[in-house]
Amino acid sequence: MKKLRQAGILVAAVLVLAGVVCIQYYNQKLQRYEGQFFGSFDTVTTVTGYAKSQKDFSEKLGLLEEKLAHYHQLFDIYHTYDGVNNIKTINDAAGKQAVKVDGEILDLLRLGKDMYARTEGKVHIAYGSVLSLWHDCREEGLRSQEQARIPTEEELAKRAVHTDMDDLVIDEEAATVFLRDGEMSLDVGSIGKGYAVQKVAEYAREIGMEHTLISVGGNVCAVGGKADGTPWVVGVENPRPDNGEPYIATVEIDSGCIVTSGDYQRYYEVEGERYCHIIDPDTNMPPQYFSSVSVRTKDSGVADAFSTALFNMEYEAGLALVENMEDMEAMWVGKDGQIRYSGGFNNDEEK
Amino acid sequence: MKKNDVILLAALIVAALAGFGGVSLYSKLSTREPQAVAYLDGEEQGRYPLSEDTTVEIRQTDGSYNILQIQNGKAEITAASCPDKVCVNHRPVGGQGESLVCLPNKMVVEIENGEELGIDAGTR
Repeated sequence: MKKLRQAGILVAAVLVLAGVVCIQYYNQKLQRYEGQFFGSFDTVTTVTGYAKSQKDFSEKLGLLEEKLAHYHQLFDIYHTYDGVNNIKTINDAAGKQAVKVDGEILDLLRLGKDMYARTEGKVHIAYGSVLSLWHDCREEGLRSQEQARIPTEEELAKRAVHTDMDDLVIDEEAATVFLRDGEMSLDVGSIGKGYAVQKVAEYAREIGMEHTLISVGGNVCAVGGKADGTPWVVGVENPRPDNGEPYIATVEIDSGCIVTSGDYQRYYEVEGERYCHIIDPDTNMPPQYFSSVSVRTKDSGVADAFSTALFNMEYEAGLALVENMEDMEAMWVGKDGQIRYSGGFNNDEEK
Repeated sequence: MKKNDVILLAALIVAALAGFGGVSLYSKLSTREPQAVAYLDGEEQGRYPLSEDTTVEIRQTDGSYNILQIQNGKAEITAASCPDKVCVNHRPVGGQGESLVCLPNKMVVEIENGEELGIDAGTR
């Protein structure tokens, strides 16, 4: 009898210890991780997700980083890479020859043409000649405040001649791209990052990251909700946070994307006036309507394009555009701080 | 069961509970005050409590720099040598996990033990 009792106690002890181990293992299974990497699309990428271990999460994070870097190289307008024909390759061959490119570049350029048509030309990937002039002025102005200047009307008008979308010739069969105008150039800044984020999000799902939130420099995309089934909470940054809250709205998402275009990250000042990096193709000037516009929809490339387009047009015109699109909502923040929404933008909040 | 067996069993349970309590107590005690942690190319350069106002220069051998200012419980970059000034334009941060990033200088300031904002990501 004594032996039996001792055995019983031993079993009880083992059960208690096993219970402790089990609970700890269970907690580990639900572990949430966050990882960051830099380099691609000149910004920080933050990935939040769930994994069994840090090692497992880090491995998957590495795969996403590789994928994003791949798109960064393809869509880069400043650098060339060994063995890669990218957007810069196309620009360098402008007026000379067609360039054979990866199917994903063709895909991106098709998206660009489609967005140009859908936004009355407010998103313009063949607008590089004007954008590069502003880019140079901005960098000079930031280097030396005293020398800061904006491009003259003449300079802008001269550049704007070389921005005809029809001169971007895509040969689907040969998989080539040709810029007919030797002075023109592509700048896919308004859609490239969004397109890449969409592809990376799809890839995340493929490799089993079913509860993941990806933010590439504030370009946010959700692959499912959190592991417990609740949605992610995305804050819309306050464009003028001087004496207020860091976020002016929150949106709950468990799928789809949200992208913001604003005048408060990349800009410079000339004689006290702020000039941001987004340029309206109709005026060749930074628009003065809003300090930020956020767009949520299911495709990140489309969200990216429309946040730029809406930033470039008055509220009424933008709202009409949004209402015409299936499954799209937007939020506008005026230079005066006034906030306006399309119908369903923050429905999640009101629920 | 004999008295000793009961004691042994009780002792085991107490030990297990104490182990549990100890682990969570340890993790509570080890969460320190909110602070800004500066990194250059992934390497930690310094830790600055958000409770003490200060200004530090994060300088690199090639002359590039970022000026980090801690004031009123928040961290911000007030000046930098980078061409785009995105880090300078960024609002002051103090919330858990928020960061200031200067990509050209490979400089990151991250907030540890900051106030929970209840936000999983920010769009900007």
